[in-house]
Amino acid sequence: MTPALAWITLLAPLAGMLLLVASGGREPSRGFTRLVGVGSVAVSFACALALFLQMLGKDDHERALVSTAWRWADLEGLRIDLSLLVDPLSMMMMLVITGVGSLIVLYSTEYMGHDRDYRRFFAEMDFFIFAMLLLVMAANFVFLIVGWAFVGLASYLLIGYYYEKPAAVAAAKKAFVINVLGDVGLVLAAVMIAREVGALDFATVFASAPDALGAGSTVAEFVAVMLFVGAAAKSAQVPLHTWLPDAMEGPTPVSALIHAATMVTAGVYLIVRCNVLYQLAPHASEMVAIAGAITLFMAATIATVQEDIKRVLAWSTVSQIGYMIMAAGLGLYTGAMFHFLTHAFFKALMFLVAGIVIHALAGEQGIDRMGGLRRYLPVSWVLMGVGCLAIAGVPPFSGFFSKDEILARAWDAGDLGKVLSIVGLAGAVLTAFYMFRMFFRVFHGPEPEGGYDHEPHNPTIIMTLPVVILGVLAVVGGWIQIPTVNHGINTWLDPSLLADPGIEASHATEWRTIAMSLAAAVVGIGVAWMIFGAGGGRRRIEMADRFPALRRFLLDQWRFDPMIDDAVVAPGRDLGDTAVARFEPRGALGIASLGSGLATGAGRLVRASQNGMVRVSAFGVVLGVAIVAVAMILGR
Amino acid sequence: MGERIAFAIAAAGALGCAAGVVTLSNPFRAAVSLIGTLLSVAVLFLLAAAPFAAAIQVIVYAGAIVVLFLFVIAYLGERPPRIGPDPMGRWAFLMATGVGVLVALGLIGLLRSHLPGMRAAFAEAGDIGSPRAIGMAFVDTHSLVFEATSLVLLIAALGAVLLARRAVLGERGR
Amino acid sequence: MGISLMYYLLVSGGLFALGLLGVLIRRNPLLLLLSVELMLNGANVALIGFSRHWNSTDGQVFALVVMVVAAAEVVIGLGLIVAVFRQRIALDVDGMDHLKG
Repeated sequence: MTPALAWITLLAPLAGMLLLVASGGREPSRGFTRLVGVGSVAVSFACALALFLQMLGKDDHERALVSTAWRWADLEGLRIDLSLLVDPLSMMMMLVITGVGSLIVLYSTEYMGHDRDYRRFFAEMDFFIFAMLLLVMAANFVFLIVGWAFVGLASYLLIGYYYEKPAAVAAAKKAFVINVLGDVGLVLAAVMIAREVGALDFATVFASAPDALGAGSTVAEFVAVMLFVGAAAKSAQVPLHTWLPDAMEGPTPVSALIHAATMVTAGVYLIVRCNVLYQLAPHASEMVAIAGAITLFMAATIATVQEDIKRVLAWSTVSQIGYMIMAAGLGLYTGAMFHFLTHAFFKALMFLVAGIVIHALAGEQGIDRMGGLRRYLPVSWVLMGVGCLAIAGVPPFSGFFSKDEILARAWDAGDLGKVLSIVGLAGAVLTAFYMFRMFFRVFHGPEPEGGYDHEPHNPTIIMTLPVVILGVLAVVGGWIQIPTVNHGINTWLDPSLLADPGIEASHATEWRTIAMSLAAAVVGIGVAWMIFGAGGGRRRIEMADRFPALRRFLLDQWRFDPMIDDAVVAPGRDLGDTAVARFEPRGALGIASLGSGLATGAGRLVRASQNGMVRVSAFGVVLGVAIVAVAMILGR
Repeated sequence: MGERIAFAIAAAGALGCAAGVVTLSNPFRAAVSLIGTLLSVAVLFLLAAAPFAAAIQVIVYAGAIVVLFLFVIAYLGERPPRIGPDPMGRWAFLMATGVGVLVALGLIGLLRSHLPGMRAAFAEAGDIGSPRAIGMAFVDTHSLVFEATSLVLLIAALGAVLLARRAVLGERGR
Repeated sequence: MGISLMYYLLVSGGLFALGLLGVLIRRNPLLLLLSVELMLNGANVALIGFSRHWNSTDGQVFALVVMVVAAAEVVIGLGLIVAVFRQRIALDVDGMDHLKG
């Protein structure tokens, strides 16, 4: 494998961003922006693909490449290099980031076509791709954290892209604050690792962690929990999930790339990458799995009442990442990564179709104002259908295989696994229900009252092509690992998983789970059809009226925002108010006014001598001379 | 002996007239008293083998400078006595004390001084005060100082012109 | 019996002290300037005395420079006094305190 290719993969988007930023104070031509914005990501993808082909030609144990640019710091034996790690795990992430990234950036050239800040959008997108690549390609915790913080910044910038909208600015701030919380957890974990292991590069840490930390030790648990704080903030897991639905204030391509396909799965990547550490910390792993299960169920319930097409997808994303996190917590690392892969395809697909719908309706996002769009946007109808079938877990679409893999293997991963597998199954019913609720309400059913102001228009080929490609991937993406047929993901990831517990589902479990997932999907879709599809959606009113309290609870998103407000924000504000009222005047200002008081007093004394009277000044001279004279006489 | 008598008379004249300058309230009289001091000091210069400095003292100092003083005093005319108490009244005692301390210190320094030959009569003087010696000193060793004085005078002249001009403008402005 | 340096220094100190007293107690700027002249003369007497003592011309040169400075100072001082007078301000140094802190 050629190290130069890895560096070009990483730096091409950065170069693209710098070129866009540096291209003069005037807005450059759209053609130039398009060329640089898309071209840099495409170059990156081409290099990643070349690396992938090279990697395929190697044996398993030769598939890791570490390329060091220079020694970045050498602190008392703690060596930190600016180096890249390309192994099957990061390769998988790189391919998804650059591949899906290229498609989405291409799509954006059309979607953002009317925006006046065209250049800023592409510069920030390129920056995000660079940051995300740095995150997954870093060969040590330091640059992982750098990439981690950079994607947080990119996410902040892109959520707040429409900076004239107060809601967008607030959402950006919220995302940033919560992400920084995660950064802190990650830094704490890294500090602990540096202290206990004496190294920060992945190879050394994972090789010596079992001896240095010890299985089940408090330190190992602490490190794992702190890593999960970082992962939970980035991947929107309970209780740090509240920023992701708000992040939908950003442009739709941003939601597709950052808040669905790539960045939010960084937490999954982190846990899978640190599989050695999690295998040393059984309790932390259980905590991760439970948090994932709670998240997937909660988000799925909330998604059933959302009225904004993008928010449905956002809660669905939270829920699907919950599956991945749950799998990673149970030690099903390949299952988590498999689901990451298929989810990247079908969720990006659905976001982009949602973008087409929004584009066609001139910015309308409420599914109340949609309906019957099948007639206007047939291609989108098909593609959205593919996405929904994939996420609902209908064979042979991709989501079926990855979700089934998680649920089946979870069943055979101990008692906790059984419980969580059932939760996952319940989530699957809800998933099928809420996705098809959205699907039927948008594409079927009656048109909204008064019809559409303008006839919804189909997009051009530039916008359609990436979506079609993603649609194909959403269908076939799961075929690389079919139960009892092949194990593409497992064999591929094997060299990167140093501590894979190797939980395998028995044949009986496998077939039972397949049957139950299918049943779940059919039940979910069937209920959705009965309420929203058949009969023009009359029954949905009845349902909403029947459970007002539950509906209210779900609309409040399980009251997490007020809870966090009460638990964290309000005490913090009270503390601040108290400090302002009590501490600041006496403590902080007191110290400050001591200094200023001294200066004022001294100044007042000196001022008395500066009364502007010539004779007083002259007398001052006399006094001075007298003092000097005394000194001279005494000093002799 | 004659020298000492002359010195005593000149010193007494200088200090007496100086006391007049300080105490007389009429500016005109004070200025005239200053002429007495300056002339007495010129005699002291003569006794110290400085005839050129003595001549300059009489011509420039007593002649030009004090005449300028008298001119201004005449121009300003009689000023009404100041109304109101001296705002420096409470400082006066302190000031007198300060000056007294300074004088006492000077005396102590003077009397305790061990400068060789300080109390002995002057030795025979060489050619140190003739116009020729002074002129040689100015153009030879102290040429830079000489040039600097010319600059000081030029600046003073400019300043005076400027002040007068501004005063005239100020009057016209009213 | 001739004259010693001591006498010159005594006279010089006396003139200087009287001038200083004048500067401190007089309020009329004209008389203030006159007192400054006294102090300058006191210094000059000392310079001439030292010049005689060391049998050197340098002291006299210095005294002449002091006279030049005195002349310049008087020109500027009187110019200021006249300017102030034209502004109808009472001739009192204590009243001129615009630089008060």
